[in-house]
Amino acid sequence: MAGASISVDGLTHRYRSSSGPLTVLDDVRFEVDAGGYVAISGPSGAGKSTLLAVLGGLEAPQSGTVVIDGQDLHDRSRDQLAAYRRDTVGFVFQHFGLLDSLTAAENVALACALVRVPPREARARARTLLSAVGLADRLDHQPGTLSGGERQRVAIARALANQPRLVLADEPTGNLDTDSAALVVDLLETLPAEQGCTLVVVTHDRSLAARAARRFELVDGRIAEQVRS
Amino acid sequence: MTWWAAIGLATMGVRRRPGRAVLTVLAVTLAAALLTALLTIATTAETRVLDELAKGGPLAGIKVAAATPDPAQIGQDNANPGAPKDLDQSALDRIRALPSVRDVVPVVSTKLLVISPTPDADGQPLAPFIETVVGVDLTQAPTLPITVVEGRLPAPGSTTELVVTEGYLERLGIARTDAARVVGSELQLAAAQARQEGDHLAARGRWFKALIVGVVAQEAADGQFLMATEQVNAARDWARAGVIDPRFATSTSAYTGLFVVADGLDNVGLVRKEITAVGYSTSAPENLIASVRRYLHVVEIVLTAVGAIALIVAALGIANAMLAAVRERRREIGVLKAIGSRDRDILRIFLVEAAVLGLVGGVLGAITGWLIAQVVGGVVNGYLVEQGLTGIALELPLTTMLATVVGSTVLAILAGTLPAARAARLPAREAVGAL
Repeated sequence: MAGASISVDGLTHRYRSSSGPLTVLDDVRFEVDAGGYVAISGPSGAGKSTLLAVLGGLEAPQSGTVVIDGQDLHDRSRDQLAAYRRDTVGFVFQHFGLLDSLTAAENVALACALVRVPPREARARARTLLSAVGLADRLDHQPGTLSGGERQRVAIARALANQPRLVLADEPTGNLDTDSAALVVDLLETLPAEQGCTLVVVTHDRSLAARAARRFELVDGRIAEQVRS
Repeated sequence: MTWWAAIGLATMGVRRRPGRAVLTVLAVTLAAALLTALLTIATTAETRVLDELAKGGPLAGIKVAAATPDPAQIGQDNANPGAPKDLDQSALDRIRALPSVRDVVPVVSTKLLVISPTPDADGQPLAPFIETVVGVDLTQAPTLPITVVEGRLPAPGSTTELVVTEGYLERLGIARTDAARVVGSELQLAAAQARQEGDHLAARGRWFKALIVGVVAQEAADGQFLMATEQVNAARDWARAGVIDPRFATSTSAYTGLFVVADGLDNVGLVRKEITAVGYSTSAPENLIASVRRYLHVVEIVLTAVGAIALIVAALGIANAMLAAVRERRREIGVLKAIGSRDRDILRIFLVEAAVLGLVGGVLGAITGWLIAQVVGGVVNGYLVEQGLTGIALELPLTTMLATVVGSTVLAILAGTLPAARAARLPAREAVGAL
């Protein structure tokens, strides 16, 4: 399946704060080709996570346009955004975002259940994906019994469960040691690419950012720099 | 999201905080148990009280006397009959054909001379006495106001078995609790056929023996003995073949009375009016039953309200537990939304979670309530038997139990609606927290 193209134009996003409106994204514009690999870096509070939330449909854009694969995310209903997240996007969070009460396989299969994949097929898909991230022997382990790196690999497997066209990773190595981080980065760069996904990684890690085909530096809500690696 | 996935996540939500879940379920269990026990006891008490009023017969039973109605007493529960009036087959057929009449059972009676083998309380032999023997078709006993206190009823059609009433026990000075003493003894009975001999009446008897097979409380007609119609009719025919003997006061009516059953308690008044129009006196405890039922209904409402309040308090506990769960699981909700759950999927998970708490509590409560009612019933039975009264029989209140389970579940779902809606409306971005 081909990845999703991204076109962001004039995206501005504000939050209400006690001291008045706070602009976190200010006239952001950039484009990413389908199947591209982009890193977004910048200091804390620069708006990276908000940009990722808007791209992922966790928040509707307030002004400007965010067009994913030719479809504008503006003015979409909550259900439409949920469908977009379910069908198009795969998330990888810094905090892994796994449900502690489920096993690794169940966490992956849950994503399949949301698109009404039959349970047997969902379990088979979970096994295949967890094997692909090297966790074939950890299928029935709960997240609490896995290391940080293993948990992030489960999260990657879950993100890919429904063959998304866009994978969004928020500080995917932020909570990992060096070895685990390297393995996770390898998987992130390999598996989505194999599926033809577009990959957007938000990271503080300059070395990780440097590995992306394109890198955006976000400062005070604006794209300050666009670097082609 | 599929229902199975929602149920799985809801179940895991319940299991995540076992202590809280147990306490919440316990509150629902206690409330449901209280409601079930109260309603079971109230229903049993109502049945028992109404049974007492109907003397074991149907509530919609009407006694028809072989007498004209007293115009001043029409409609009263215990109307005094007017002048005697023969109650024959044609009258029975007319009454049977009346609308709203479900059943008509004829009752016959005659006075017999009785010789009892059982001595009185002082151990002295009882002098022969004249008493009324009531005859009914015993295959229709369930339709009649007859309650077996001890032993059994005579076999239908039997000419050698009879039952006695508590009046006979009183005659002997035997307490109700010792009713078994008279069962198995054999009475000698005689119908007297009088003939005029000169200036006085002479009588010859038609003797027969009958075994006492039980003790009953009966309101079919006045009389301390009850047996199959066949023997009573034979005795009466024998007496009627002679001249009238005022000591035996043999009636010329084919039936002493009728026991009429209306096709509903609400139609008792109507049927009584119709029978009055046919020309016979009636009596039925309809006003008493209506008034007792009103009181019982009030008691039932109060008890239901007490149980319902307890359930509502338990439901508030569920709402509180669910609100805490939503607060604790903001990130989990966010993750579920991030991977594509819709608001209604989240709503469903939390509503199922609330329903599970209500359902489990309701089922446990219904069972516990039934057990509590059994214990209370046992204590009440002990007291009643001690007083020489018939004990109560608790029937498994399936409808009450089902209503309790459904009520607990529905109430839990209602209580979970606000927390579930709050969870569903959590913005995906806010729910994910620090993305």
